[in-house]
Amino acid sequence: MSKVSRSRKVASSKLTNWVQPSFDDLFTCGSLPSIKSNKRTNSGDPKYLDCSSKFLESKKRLGKRSCSREHHFSCTKEYFDCHEDEPWVEKYKPKTQAELGVHKKKIEEVEAWLKVHTEQKQINKGGSILLMTGPSGCGKTATIYVLSQELGIEIQEWSNPLSSEFKKDNLNSIFDCESISGGFSSESQTRMFQEFLLRANRYNKLQLSGETNDKTKKVILVEDIPNQFYRQPAYLHDILRKFSRTGRCPLIFIISDSLSGSSMQRLLFPSEIQEELKTSSISFNPVAPTSMLKVLSRIAVQEATWNGEKTNGPDKDSLHVLCNSCSGDIRSAINSLQFSSLKGNFICKLVGIYKLKKNSKLEELPAIGGKDVSLFLFRALGKILHFKREPHTDSDLPQLPNHLSEHERSRLLLDPEMILDKTCLSGELFSLYLHQNYLDFYSEIDDVVRATEYLSDADFFTAEWSGDIACSLCLFVGFCLGLVMVKCQTSINCCNEDTCYCFPSSKH
Amino acid sequence: MSLWLDKYRPSSLNKLDYHKEQASQLKNLVQHGDFPHLLVYGPSGAGKKTRIMCLLRELYGAGVEKLRIEHQTITAPSKKKIEISTIASNYHLEVNPSDAGNNDRVVIQELLKTVAQSQQIQTSTQRDFKVVILTEVDRLTKDAQHALRRTMEKYMANCRLILCCNSTSKVIPPIRSRCLAVRVPLPSVEEICTVLIGVCKKEGLSLPAELAKRIAEKSGRNLRKALLMCEACRVQQLPFSADQDIPETDWEVYLRETANAIVSQQSPQRLLEVRGRLYELLTHCIPPEIIMKGLLSELLNNCDGHLKGEVAQMAAYYEHRLQLGSKAVYHLEAFIAKFMAVYKRFMEDGLEAMMF
Repeated sequence: MSKVSRSRKVASSKLTNWVQPSFDDLFTCGSLPSIKSNKRTNSGDPKYLDCSSKFLESKKRLGKRSCSREHHFSCTKEYFDCHEDEPWVEKYKPKTQAELGVHKKKIEEVEAWLKVHTEQKQINKGGSILLMTGPSGCGKTATIYVLSQELGIEIQEWSNPLSSEFKKDNLNSIFDCESISGGFSSESQTRMFQEFLLRANRYNKLQLSGETNDKTKKVILVEDIPNQFYRQPAYLHDILRKFSRTGRCPLIFIISDSLSGSSMQRLLFPSEIQEELKTSSISFNPVAPTSMLKVLSRIAVQEATWNGEKTNGPDKDSLHVLCNSCSGDIRSAINSLQFSSLKGNFICKLVGIYKLKKNSKLEELPAIGGKDVSLFLFRALGKILHFKREPHTDSDLPQLPNHLSEHERSRLLLDPEMILDKTCLSGELFSLYLHQNYLDFYSEIDDVVRATEYLSDADFFTAEWSGDIACSLCLFVGFCLGLVMVKCQTSINCCNEDTCYCFPSSKH
Repeated sequence: MSLWLDKYRPSSLNKLDYHKEQASQLKNLVQHGDFPHLLVYGPSGAGKKTRIMCLLRELYGAGVEKLRIEHQTITAPSKKKIEISTIASNYHLEVNPSDAGNNDRVVIQELLKTVAQSQQIQTSTQRDFKVVILTEVDRLTKDAQHALRRTMEKYMANCRLILCCNSTSKVIPPIRSRCLAVRVPLPSVEEICTVLIGVCKKEGLSLPAELAKRIAEKSGRNLRKALLMCEACRVQQLPFSADQDIPETDWEVYLRETANAIVSQQSPQRLLEVRGRLYELLTHCIPPEIIMKGLLSELLNNCDGHLKGEVAQMAAYYEHRLQLGSKAVYHLEAFIAKFMAVYKRFMEDGLEAMMF
């Protein structure tokens, strides 16, 4: 149930009635793109067929990146035909390095690792482990698939099997599994994972008819980590220790960071374990807007040429809106691109609104299907502490009077209130974090004096109006500005800037 | 074996060692068998609690000394269970409501209600009221203080309150006006010396007058601390000699080191180290006021006349902030940063003056 490497149409006719494509209501024809066969030594056994179809269903239900596993596909015409109604994420998934939206250096990093660890197997005794982290939709999985295809590496992937209740409900009619379910379902996921690693490690993929398999290099990919490991990470560590001793091929873990900061990575792979197992770790950043724009326009152009009159090619502005609204998640960007170009009008309307707002100096309008942009705590802290200011430009703002001239500073690029809004933290808590971190950013004690004064003020005011959230927020901002202002003072002193413009102080 | 502190605690108003005039006034107060609510305040180690217990003994006789500790569970309206420990005799109940944190209002209302609602059975032989002692009233939330004000009037018939606190400045005026305020000032150095020598005599030891004086001065006229130090001295060296070392508490040493660190270098990095030390002190339950006071007195040693005034003013400002605010470390740090800046300028000026 666990090793999937190749798609074949096995039982699709039977399965179509309970597998729904995720964009079903938008398209009419609904043939399944593929069925994954399971590749094991005993894959003829009905038990395993059963499992594979179960697995398939789970994949389809999840609907997320189900098809990205079929990485050995060549894009024949037939492929395109049967994938017409596919989400664009699948349809236009990258096939070469150039098509990836990931930064070149990152790709090189992963490529180097793959090369080193697949080719020098003899020197490198024991299995090596790579940990790939990054926010969702930043191209971790795509990178691995593209690279493995280019380097001719076979991928074997683990995915979590389903529980037995589910199987009984849905599959009794298809397979007579009553007799075998008992023995099978008693296996724990942990054990199955262990066995999977063992087998994937030891045996190569089956040679199926009509397939030329000259690939000897192989990596194991784990993206769904069995739930049990979240509760007891020690099990995973034990298995990995064993693997690192006996493993023959590299093992790759892909873990998506969550923005909220509760990192699974730290739970599953604490630094001691990483050191002990000599795990390499590559962390991905959200996709940069420029490269995302490139990918989106490529897709838009391809779609327009392939399907000329049906879709209106979205113009550049609307692509910009999409890029800005999805905060570095390329998957959601492509999905919203597909969605917006479907009915044609959505995006145009959107852009219309956007342009209107732009004229009235309101920025950033979330596009349809855009992600909720929130800031990770430490990024927000960074935005305050490494503040950015406008380079001084001509301004019609009045100058400060002479006795306040020491407070002069140029306008901030970011609005601290907005930063606080995005962190979803209370002002009090955020100022605690700031307090913990601000000292490293000062070199002069005189500047620290002013920062501490503002902190003291902020605490005094929040205590006075405890419970009044709005007020504490604006006071927090007052503090933020204070902090930022002091920093500005330092930089002015350093750079000897002659002219700078004031920012209205919101000290209360 | 109990500490000297507890062993030789006076148990009746007649036996008190100092502020005798006040003791006799208290005695007069309760002679008629009744008294108003009391608000006893004064610095720690002045003998507030001792005085209160003496007063109760005067009222109820030896029965108040049979104390028992009870753990009570109170259910807040939000169904949250609050556990609080009380010390009680048959006649009185002592509780520190600020132990309950933000729920102190519930504790006050519920506890007072249960105490006040049960009347004494034999009013002929006993007083017809019970006494509730609330300690650390100045640390109550405003909510609780307002609840207290109402409760005070409501249960006046069969309940008397004795409030105990360090400073009345944090007690809301309505409560202050409902109580008879009794200030217990610190004993003088001579009074402490007499007490120390008297206690040692009872223990069968002879304490040199010089040592007694040194202990008294070092304790900051805090009688509790003086007695503890005296006992520590006995453990350290017996028989006493006039010039023996008086052991210091760890946190005092630590605070002095912190002050030295501030004086020796003034930079943000040093401030960061000092912050770590402040957190260390705060987590060991040294009140921020005491940290501020200790730091100031250490720092002042390094300042000249003009600077002293400035630094003291800064300290006063931030001490006030400390009382008003909720996070002590902000204000302590602000004070230290300001001191560093001022001191640095002072040193640089001094250097320039030397060079020219």
